[in-house]
Amino acid sequence: MLNRYLRLAIVVVALGGTLEAFGQQATEMFIPIGQSPGLSGKGSLIGTLESVDPGKRMVTISIPSGAQTVVITDRTMIWLDRSEQKQPNQNGAINDLQKGRKIEIKVRKDEPKAVAEWIKVLVGP
Amino acid sequence: MKRLNRSQWHRKALVLMVLCPLLWVLSAVSACVSLPSPPTDLVSKGREIFFNETFKGNGRTCGTCHRAEANFSINPSFIATLPANDPLFVAEFNPDLKKTFENPKLMRQFGLILENLDGFGDLENKFVMRGVPHVLAQRTSINSNQGPRTGWSGDGAPGDGSLRSFATGAVIQHFTKTLNRVAGVDFRLPTEDELDALEAFQLSLGRQQDLTLPLPLKGIVPKRGQDIFLDNGLGKCNLCHANAGATANFGGGNIGNANFNTGVENLPDQPADLTGERNPPDDGFGRPGDGTFNTPPLVESADTGPFFHNNAIETIEGAVAFYNGDAFNNSPSGQVLAQNDPRKVGIRLDATQVVAVAAFLRVLNALENIRQSLELLESSAKKGFAERAEDLEFLKRAVSETKDSIKVLDGGGLHPEAVAHLQKAKELAEKAHCSFFRRRGLTQQAIDELRNARAQLIEAS
Repeated sequence: MLNRYLRLAIVVVALGGTLEAFGQQATEMFIPIGQSPGLSGKGSLIGTLESVDPGKRMVTISIPSGAQTVVITDRTMIWLDRSEQKQPNQNGAINDLQKGRKIEIKVRKDEPKAVAEWIKVLVGP
Repeated sequence: MKRLNRSQWHRKALVLMVLCPLLWVLSAVSACVSLPSPPTDLVSKGREIFFNETFKGNGRTCGTCHRAEANFSINPSFIATLPANDPLFVAEFNPDLKKTFENPKLMRQFGLILENLDGFGDLENKFVMRGVPHVLAQRTSINSNQGPRTGWSGDGAPGDGSLRSFATGAVIQHFTKTLNRVAGVDFRLPTEDELDALEAFQLSLGRQQDLTLPLPLKGIVPKRGQDIFLDNGLGKCNLCHANAGATANFGGGNIGNANFNTGVENLPDQPADLTGERNPPDDGFGRPGDGTFNTPPLVESADTGPFFHNNAIETIEGAVAFYNGDAFNNSPSGQVLAQNDPRKVGIRLDATQVVAVAAFLRVLNALENIRQSLELLESSAKKGFAERAEDLEFLKRAVSETKDSIKVLDGGGLHPEAVAHLQKAKELAEKAHCSFFRRRGLTQQAIDELRNARAQLIEAS
């Protein structure tokens, strides 16, 4: 029989303590590709969009070490990086993921497959 | 060589008697007004950036909302003292920020700041109004087993989610010149070095470690309050606020800082709602939110109200009483406590018990104020003539901390003898601030009075 407080811990942690859900981090949208603090170049993939499979909801990015395929879910945030044009960044959609565009992907941790938490797409004029 | 006669000697001596003190005073003045040398250590650099760097935005700095004079937070009574052109009020005088950047009425009346936590796609409708959390004791309050938790819902930082990265998000949300929020146009992003410095400065503020309760308190009521706080069958406070901090411990070891849904959002008659101003519900962590909010430390609570993420409650007594009410006891956290209670009760304290717990928190806060004041005065006492500017700054901050301790104890009708010592300490520190020749002596006397005050609150260790 579990100690009462250990049971309490398990329940409370389950309610609110094990959160590795999508954090809000809404301001990430306005950070240009490659400038995400503590992340770009360490915990994100930066490269060129090689291919998109809208049906399977998969994106393949070409990075220096090779190609990597990442899954897009309903919770993946897609943002258009228009900072080079000095224009406001915007929410995007899967059809903005076009081959040849520069992208940055944050991949969620602790998932069996590589799932994109967010994708930034550099859009030109 | 020509010999001087008596009258010539007298004249020369008189000139020297006038000139020397004058030169000395002038050199002292120049020491005060001379530009300080650039900070060399990371904490000092961070302080400089925190209070002065606008990141080419709308004029705000981190210190605009996290005011050193208000315990690195802000509240309506402090806001009322600010001039109309203070950058805090930029939404009132910058036409590009007049709509959907802040709500001036809610800011001035309740100290609430607008945040677009669910994204920036619908500024008219998607926002929340939150109080400004203090940034004290973050070394003890951010870490968790699931990674760092920043901000009121524990998810405030972009990038890697760390305290270091938090400043980047803050610049984007609060410093922008226009609602376009274009990096390089409306603001500039902090550099890597600036983020390092800001993190170092923030981590240096306040307590560097948690207390170990119980403390040998002297006051009967605060002592009883501590007992209730630590009683996992009665107050149950120590479960989520271990040692009156921000970490949780349910008996199986400390799990670090945690998020809980305590039902604050379900409180009826929230002050901001009574104004009729638009105040959308705040769903806490995540998108969509899961209703949980981050646990703040309690040692610094009594002088950093109003309380909870939405500044819904003004007093520390009210904040403790919240846990007796329906909003908490019907919440997921309240329900879990009840399920694990032999009497199936979440938290139920009577009025005297609420006041006792609040008294305990007031005394803890005052002890922390005294600790910080002593640290500042002891540092001040070691400063030499060349460091006068820094010395004066330390004295000013010590006066501010001592004022806080007086307000905190007096507000609860606690320890009048300690309050008398604290008043004397404050007066002595103020005199030291204005004095040149007697500064060291007055500072030492202030230190002695602070120690006398502390001795009234707690047994000597």
